[in-house]
Amino acid sequence: MRLEGRSLFPWIAGAAILFSIGWALNRGQLPPADFTFVNGTEVKSLDPAIVTGQPENRMINALFEGLTSWNPETLKPEPGAAERWDVSDDLLTYTFHLRKDAKWSDGSPVTAHDFLYSMRRFLDPRTAAEYSYQAWYVKNAKKYSGGGRAVRPGNNVEVELNVDPDGVNSIRGELVRGKLVRIENKADQELQGEDLDKAAADATLNIEDWTFVIATEAGEERFRYADDAFAARNDPADGERFARQILLDLHDVGMRVVDDHTIEFTLENPTPYFLNLLGFYPLFPVQQKCVEAYGSPQWTDVENIVCNGPFKPEFRHLRDRTRVVKNEHYWDRDNVKLNSVDFLAVESSTTALNLYLTGEVDWIYDVPAAALRTLLQEQPPRDDINPQPMLNTYFYLLNTKRKPFDDVRVRKALSMAMDRTELTGRLLGAGELPTYSLVPPGLPGYDPPQSPHENVAEAQRLLAEAGYPGGRGFPTIEILYNTHEGHQAIAQLIRKQWQQNLGIKVRTRNEEWATFNSSQRQLNFDVSRRGWIGDYADPNTFLDMFVTGGENNCTGWGNAEYDKLIADAAVETDPTERLAILRQAETILMDEQPIIPFYDYVSKNMVKPYVRGFYNNIQDTHPLSALSIDHDEQTPNPFMRGRE
Amino acid sequence: MINFIGKRLFWLLITMWAVFTVSFILMRSVPGGPFDREKAVAPEIKRNLERRYNLDKPVLVQYGLELQRVFLHGDLGHCMNIADASVNYVIAQGLPISAALGILAMTFAVSFGVLTGVVAAAMRGSPLDVGLRLAATAGIALPNFVVAGICILLFVFWIPLLPAAGWGSLSQLVLPAFCLGAPYAAEVARITRTSMLDALSHDYIRTARAKGVSRTRVVLVHGLRNSLLPVVSFLGPAVAGILTGSLIVEQIFGIPGLGVYFVKSALQRDYTLSMGVVLLYTLVLYTMNFLVDLSYAYLDPRVELE
Repeated sequence: MRLEGRSLFPWIAGAAILFSIGWALNRGQLPPADFTFVNGTEVKSLDPAIVTGQPENRMINALFEGLTSWNPETLKPEPGAAERWDVSDDLLTYTFHLRKDAKWSDGSPVTAHDFLYSMRRFLDPRTAAEYSYQAWYVKNAKKYSGGGRAVRPGNNVEVELNVDPDGVNSIRGELVRGKLVRIENKADQELQGEDLDKAAADATLNIEDWTFVIATEAGEERFRYADDAFAARNDPADGERFARQILLDLHDVGMRVVDDHTIEFTLENPTPYFLNLLGFYPLFPVQQKCVEAYGSPQWTDVENIVCNGPFKPEFRHLRDRTRVVKNEHYWDRDNVKLNSVDFLAVESSTTALNLYLTGEVDWIYDVPAAALRTLLQEQPPRDDINPQPMLNTYFYLLNTKRKPFDDVRVRKALSMAMDRTELTGRLLGAGELPTYSLVPPGLPGYDPPQSPHENVAEAQRLLAEAGYPGGRGFPTIEILYNTHEGHQAIAQLIRKQWQQNLGIKVRTRNEEWATFNSSQRQLNFDVSRRGWIGDYADPNTFLDMFVTGGENNCTGWGNAEYDKLIADAAVETDPTERLAILRQAETILMDEQPIIPFYDYVSKNMVKPYVRGFYNNIQDTHPLSALSIDHDEQTPNPFMRGRE
Repeated sequence: MINFIGKRLFWLLITMWAVFTVSFILMRSVPGGPFDREKAVAPEIKRNLERRYNLDKPVLVQYGLELQRVFLHGDLGHCMNIADASVNYVIAQGLPISAALGILAMTFAVSFGVLTGVVAAAMRGSPLDVGLRLAATAGIALPNFVVAGICILLFVFWIPLLPAAGWGSLSQLVLPAFCLGAPYAAEVARITRTSMLDALSHDYIRTARAKGVSRTRVVLVHGLRNSLLPVVSFLGPAVAGILTGSLIVEQIFGIPGLGVYFVKSALQRDYTLSMGVVLLYTLVLYTMNFLVDLSYAYLDPRVELE
């Protein structure tokens, strides 16, 4: 018995090895795709509504198409699923005419109903779209996406009743419409005016504690929030009904289907970048039939998904590769040159570079800093790398709620005592440019105002004036950054510069991403690093962040005049005047200096010379539908413009 | 025997529960949650995100719900970060890949390690022995990423024999399996050599030699069989570690295994996924130790299981 057991060992080992090799090879040798590139981390989801981030951007852009789509070179909005649009004279109403030949990948037509469905779904708080604010320019959209917290007495509301908790989770409950009469809190007291606003803004609010009194067809009814599971197991209190959620009536939101191929949006304010936003991936449409048949997230499974973009997924191997193939039903299929594209989920930029240099991939979007310097210095110059500025600023936040940063002279001194040229020239070396403004240069019609440039003597004078001559009496301050060797090197350099130039003591502290974000939000820092990527090509994407109490302000700074200018700019219809107002606002920001901008990021793409249709642009966005491969093409690649 | 297995199963459950509880407490007490973002999320949306994972409920209720789901239904829940996939699916996709690579690495480590260990012991003091010991020390001392870096330079760039990264072909397996197995091979070689030297110094070896048994046979049969026990006890936990994947090797060679999740899910506060991989590791480690105990009984007739 024992001997038999022992003699089994080699067999078991042999079988295990065979199994392993078999498993390793079971995905087989696929024929290579027409185009293969490194897409970074595994995408969070294929559902356009719920994702944020660059890898997701590239994926969703390949699979779906919005009403407009961006020109690959200029980023100007061009007809997408809509073939044309009209804008009213007050710039508030946009009417889109959908092209009749726009099709889903199952062959059915893309209609205005699909867009209305998708926009509503995107705004629905139950979808939990982190990017929902990208659609808040539509009239009352913000209110709709705030659910029960946002409705106020007098509003028309729709009550979504509970559904079977075991049913498909993407089907809405039955709707009861009515007018909100009042909201009562836990103690059955009516909430009104400012009290209501304050209670609703409280992040810790338990909305199940509230009672919504709504005048419906059946008279005055009382509704209370309840989970589907809870509602299925319990009975509501006497005279009350359970509701899944309570929303502003969709009819009051500025979206309307005119006919099957026409959809109309009414905006809160004239929004010059609204057409750009419609080409931004969170606002892309999904097919109602598909979403409701499989539920979320199962509808995004490769077997189930229906999409309307130039490509559709063929398979998705988690954290390995996702292959998309040309969507034969796409209206502009004749201009899509690639038949298949592989998205590689490779996280390490060094590994990505190795793959690129050995010819396994055709495009990588990031190169490790050390390698980049070497690659840029190669002689003869490489014909496949061309870093160019993008809409992305690196800056430090100063916590103005803490001493000594509450003193503007200290803030100015810190900025002036920095040597940005040493930073960009010696440390970074990919052609990054020092910057003295929050909004990066390169936006048409906008010349960003400058904060004071380096001036060590003046910095020392300001510091002395603030009561710290030669840095004496100045508390030890700390630079907070998220764990990353690049941020660490920068923080060390700035620390050295401040210590030398101002005679103050500086420490650095790193925290990993989640902790870092939470510290930043709670103003738990002295100085903290931040990078901001413009969501759309307009100064507002940077500037509206610093209004008093803004969610992303994170400095404790506020200025009434600044807030007013940002609000004025939002309603200004004249584009030149609007930019002038925004510039005025940034002048205040750069003068008060709650932040110290110091450089603008550059794109770090490497693209094989035979890839055409790839252009540098300030948002570093490169639609795959524009790419083609031509191995015989001898003319210089337009991608290399600016670096010949 | 049955008694032994039953007892072990009972303790397995206790261990899993303890690991679950400690992990749960640790995860909830670290600052920052799975839905904290650089850009603020509107409160109503954050609430809905949290509600999806019961994070809006009191911690004790969450604990009860999680415990029930994991232990009664065997459902590890839905990933918080890869929103399209359940934790069970992520593990089902990643584990076989990590395990396949791990088995190959282990095969290399054991065969190469035992062989060099035996040769070194048999030729004790010779230049070959010194050389192998040096190599083993280097193998243990050099971190994975250094070995991987050198290998990539050598076999991908200077002598372009192998692909830089990826998964799916035999040639893509060579470098990662080697880099993953190298430190284990070194360790196995060191252990084998020591225990072999110990075994060879016993009287029964001298008796066997005196009987006229060839030197090779004495080493390979009489000596090896008795010197394997320490190797086996080392292998148990080592296999558990290697099967569940390695962060560094998987990152460098772009292998879609499980190893990355051990660190990444914790950094992203992906509560469900990190709980999943921690429990999986506990299960595999426990099982391997159990198998090692069982194999003692096979390898050494004097051992009795109780």
